[in-house]
Amino acid sequence: MKTGVYFCKCGTNIADKIDAVKIRESLLRQDPGIHFSTVDFMCSEEGKEAVAKDLAENRVERVVISACSPRDHETTFMRVLSKAGLNPYLMQMVNVREQIAWVTEDSGRATDKADRYIRAAVRRVQLHDALQKKEIDICPDVLVIGAGPAGLKAALSIAGSGRKVVLVEKSPVIGGLPVRFEELFPTMECGPCMLEPLLGDVLHGEYAENIELLTMAEVTGVVGSYGNFAAKISQRPRFVDMQVCIGCAECIEPCPVSAKNTFNSGMNDRKAISFPFAGALPNAPFVDEKLCIALQGGECRKCREACPVEGAIIFDDSAKVFERNIGAIIVAVGSDLYDCTKLPQLGYGKLDNIHTSMEFERIMASNGPTDGEIRTTAGNAPASVAIIHCVGSLDPKHKEYCSGVCCQYAFKFNHLIEKKLPGTRVCHFYKELVIPGKDEFGLYHQARSNPQATFVRYDDIQNLSVAGGAEGTIIQYQDNSGKSGSVKADMVILCPAVVPAEDSGRLGTVLEAGQDRAGFFEELHGRLDSAQSKIRGVFLAGTCQSPMDIQKAMNQGMAASGYILSGLVAGRKLEIQPVNAEVDARRCSGCRVCVAVCPYTAISFDPEKKVAVVNDVLCQGCGTCVAACPSAAIKGNHYTNAEILAEIEEVLK
Amino acid sequence: MTADKTVRGDTAFEPKIIGFLCNWCSYAGADKAGTAQSPYPPNVNVIRVMCSGRIDPQFVMKAFEQGADGVIILACHPGDCHYKEGNYRAAQRYRLLLQLLEPFGIERERCRFDFVSAGEGDKFVQVITEMVETVRALGPLIIPA
Repeated sequence: MKTGVYFCKCGTNIADKIDAVKIRESLLRQDPGIHFSTVDFMCSEEGKEAVAKDLAENRVERVVISACSPRDHETTFMRVLSKAGLNPYLMQMVNVREQIAWVTEDSGRATDKADRYIRAAVRRVQLHDALQKKEIDICPDVLVIGAGPAGLKAALSIAGSGRKVVLVEKSPVIGGLPVRFEELFPTMECGPCMLEPLLGDVLHGEYAENIELLTMAEVTGVVGSYGNFAAKISQRPRFVDMQVCIGCAECIEPCPVSAKNTFNSGMNDRKAISFPFAGALPNAPFVDEKLCIALQGGECRKCREACPVEGAIIFDDSAKVFERNIGAIIVAVGSDLYDCTKLPQLGYGKLDNIHTSMEFERIMASNGPTDGEIRTTAGNAPASVAIIHCVGSLDPKHKEYCSGVCCQYAFKFNHLIEKKLPGTRVCHFYKELVIPGKDEFGLYHQARSNPQATFVRYDDIQNLSVAGGAEGTIIQYQDNSGKSGSVKADMVILCPAVVPAEDSGRLGTVLEAGQDRAGFFEELHGRLDSAQSKIRGVFLAGTCQSPMDIQKAMNQGMAASGYILSGLVAGRKLEIQPVNAEVDARRCSGCRVCVAVCPYTAISFDPEKKVAVVNDVLCQGCGTCVAACPSAAIKGNHYTNAEILAEIEEVLK
Repeated sequence: MTADKTVRGDTAFEPKIIGFLCNWCSYAGADKAGTAQSPYPPNVNVIRVMCSGRIDPQFVMKAFEQGADGVIILACHPGDCHYKEGNYRAAQRYRLLLQLLEPFGIERERCRFDFVSAGEGDKFVQVITEMVETVRALGPLIIPA
């Protein structure tokens, strides 16, 4: 097997320290058949040309490149081999510049070390396999889970490229949380106004036919891997045919049953057949099975009698299961708010007029429980409002992180209270104020200049307590300077920590996508790849990954789509790197140690053949399973035991 | 070729050490020391693996058998592994490995495990220098028959 050793001088960088003549002599003593050649600057166009030409002319079969770090130029020289008609994996690179020439003071010892490394590489490269990249067919369609800002943006951008999108939403309504907010920070844009064009595009826009929207649905099973997933989606019955219903709402009034409206945080009632809130899209009501008399076996048919169209209300609607093939999945299931009853001293759930920020958003919304009027339970406009920031955030006893959005909506609240109820006193209790961004300071300055606003900084939420009494709600506090005081507040708004959605854990299990210690979906890399999960082909967008504002959620929706649009292209096959693990079924004892250690769930157990099976698409080639296998039944391609052991042996000679 | 001999002091013993480095952190850290041109003793012969999780304890035993006086395993810092958790596997295997060395009469100081990030060129130089000095002080490894 003719081996060529190409020695880059790298100008004087290598040549000044390492004696190429001595290396050549040593190699020829080891094997007179070795073809040795020096090149001035191997990574230059001339250098690469020279190597490619030399490889062909001398019919070299195995190649050792002695140059710089493989982290810089391994792929460069692999391409040179390919160009010369050689399999690129029949090459071993020796890092003589960064790891010998530049760091060894004595040139004799540097030459000795380079000689050992090159000899070891010559030994190793003899054992290399001519690995081949594999290619598989892919499905370019995408499953988007969650129809909030991030999911909608992702669904639209993917549908716009002509691909099919399955958009799965748990609730009967799309638009996520912000569609329920009257106004949005930082520019006080109306939430529904901002989102409705987006919702309209999803439902009826130019690419809507590419989007299959499944509301009241959940993903219950996923098999396969990047490029070829199969998802199982379970849909609860709506009892209203969205294709037939004209959204006139005639059915609502006659319904005789009421219950708390969860879409308004239980602050008003809704009927058994209802819209979550006025203007909710898709424009069709849904029936609450547990409340509806007809669905509970009763005689009532009042809604259907009132309905002007035939077949819109279907009492015999049933749960459906859909199976869809997709190539990638975007998780955009959003988040929840921290349970404020876990901070009992704040009185939430026990005292009147203590609201979470979500409840207050609905109070201020013109389609909310009070039609946008800020009123206490007694029906009066509050003369004073306390806004408590950092409830559960930045708190080691609750959630250690900053939720990032609360300060900004708290200042939005300040602005809206000032506008709707001029003269109302507002007291902000805060631990830290966090208002980054080029537009976000506006509401902060406005709050600071509100003559009715006061600010109290506290160190620990334990230093605040909210108590009710004859004269109203009183907040006792100790501020961060140790000073104690009390503030009367007719209404208290709590800004709870943003926490993972209740369903995240279940969905994480279905997708095998991990969660961080706070329970948010764990990204591949916090800065480089925050829109990718650690499972290939499962992408993340919006607050399911981390607390974030709408801008960031929309951006992440686009980022996740970008990965899919560039990585999973219709008509193009998915390339699979051959540096991966391979099970020798004859040696495998079926012990499943490898299944347990694989960080990518790339190894499964075939119960029929009783052997481990590696999924090439998921395997990243780390080799952890290779080292773990007690039967040496797994081969780590390009880093085989034989290759590494030969390298060790030769370098020690 | 000239044999590896004497650099400093009156000792003629130059230890042979094998260093297993993961591609993404510690190997990059070694490259960083290179670009900074920070010198260190040339006794450590680097074997590059993609992940420290690939390091099979038999590689270490083989290195000692083949004449290494010391072995150093360098991994990504906890939480930084490119492959999520290969460095934890490496750390687990290292603890077992130490128990394996003693019956062979190999001092545990001859086998070191440490974390070096891609940015820690200085730490790489320090760890390598310490390792060479430690093994030099122990003297050549003689495995009892």
